[in-house]
Amino acid sequence: MSQRLPKFPFLGRLLMQLPSPLGVLPLIAVLIVWQILQKGNSPYFPPPSAWWSGIVQSAATGKLLPACLASLQTILVGMVLATAAGVMLGVLIGLSRRTARALGPLLEFCRAMPPPAIVPLAILFLGYDERMKLTIVVISAMWPILLNTASAIQRIHPILLDVATSFHLSFYERIRFVAIPSVMPSILLGVRIALPLTIVLTLLVEILTSIEGVGALMITAQRNFQSGQLYGLLVLVGLFGFFLNTVFSMIQAIILRRWPPRSIPA
Amino acid sequence: MADQARRSGINWAGLAVLLALLVVWEASVRFGLIAFEFVPAPSSIAAGAIRLSREGILFTDLLHTLMSIAMGWGIAMVIGISIGLLLGFSSIARKFGLASVEILRPMPGIAFAPLGLLLFGFSLQTELVVTVLPTIWPVMINTMGGVANIHPRLTDVGQTLRLSPTEIVRHLLLPAALPSIIVGARISLSLALVMAIVAEIVGNPAGLGYGIVREQQAMNPDLMFAYIAVVGILGIVLNAGVLAVTTVLWPASTRSMA
Repeated sequence: MSQRLPKFPFLGRLLMQLPSPLGVLPLIAVLIVWQILQKGNSPYFPPPSAWWSGIVQSAATGKLLPACLASLQTILVGMVLATAAGVMLGVLIGLSRRTARALGPLLEFCRAMPPPAIVPLAILFLGYDERMKLTIVVISAMWPILLNTASAIQRIHPILLDVATSFHLSFYERIRFVAIPSVMPSILLGVRIALPLTIVLTLLVEILTSIEGVGALMITAQRNFQSGQLYGLLVLVGLFGFFLNTVFSMIQAIILRRWPPRSIPA
Repeated sequence: MADQARRSGINWAGLAVLLALLVVWEASVRFGLIAFEFVPAPSSIAAGAIRLSREGILFTDLLHTLMSIAMGWGIAMVIGISIGLLLGFSSIARKFGLASVEILRPMPGIAFAPLGLLLFGFSLQTELVVTVLPTIWPVMINTMGGVANIHPRLTDVGQTLRLSPTEIVRHLLLPAALPSIIVGARISLSLALVMAIVAEIVGNPAGLGYGIVREQQAMNPDLMFAYIAVVGILGIVLNAGVLAVTTVLWPASTRSMA
């Protein structure tokens, strides 16, 4: 089932999937036109050169790097915890049809709840600190992973379970050799949905509470009408998202290399 | 899970768990088992919701949120579907545009909130900026994918039948891409709800999102919980509503969905 593929062609194929680099031309054209048309330092639409000087200025005060690290830390730690919790609960819920059915409406309600709505609630209970930021991120990012895992466990082909029974596999072995391999693509899909959510929530909490992070820097820049810096931070956040997304796609592709192609969700 | 419930009627076990949870919650607040002063009993949350709806605030807020979702989603659909069709049909557009889309797409929508505030202040425009921009992507990507994944033979069939290019697009290609576009529209709608709430929390003091923050700052936990419950119910209703509408209008489009 898993052919041993040489390493290089695999990376090559990954690169082949990327869109043509010519596609960034419109973006660059817009930026150049913007720079040329916008001469002065407009309070609303500053030219890209002002974005850069804003970022440099922010870095010079020594606030930029700690803020970036704080946000990145929340996103990564939150993601890891949410994945661990989501997969564990998802497997437990998915293994028993009765539990899944009994918890179904509750889970549906939690999933339908837009995560930002619980932010004020968490502020009320946990106060303004680092822990609250992480709690919100974990709780909200957990749902897509949990629900994807649970439904994938339920969709495991019955024959696989029969095989596990005939082999007298223990509970642990069932999870290790039957459940996890069957649901890995779905787990990764859940993580993929959760990743942008963690970024949004981290920034939201930082904007709302001014806990250290890029979001707090952005809202401060807005309040002080430092529009150049705000646009610069916006680009930075965009790069953040692009970078995390790309890294995760690569990790996903590397993990799923050992899975048969048809099980990879489109 | 939802399929299962539909097949065997009402999910009594699930409802029983929900009810039991509410009863335990009520009892533990009544008998002082929860020491937090901020946890209201379900009964006082319900009372709060009733009070809010009597005063008419809840309805006004709900209406505002629904209106901004509708506007934001509508604008995002128009932009997303048009660009998606362009990228799907024209390989030149894909070559010279797709990478830009891929760079802009992971941009978290919330990051536009400070920008919206800078440009428009605390206003509906800010809310629309925050709602529209992230909502464009799912429908755009699904439209593009739906068009790009149409089997080339479909165009051959059209040409064999001597249909004009516009007829091929209108009668063969668009219907073939429709299921994928609808899935994108659904994802966009639930995103529009999330972003509208975000925008109301940070950018536009109106609607359900602002209601939650307002009651949190006024230290009215019962009213805050009431708003949160309404938001959750709105999420369920919107999702179910769109699913029902698409099932009725395009039965084939929901069949292929997992």
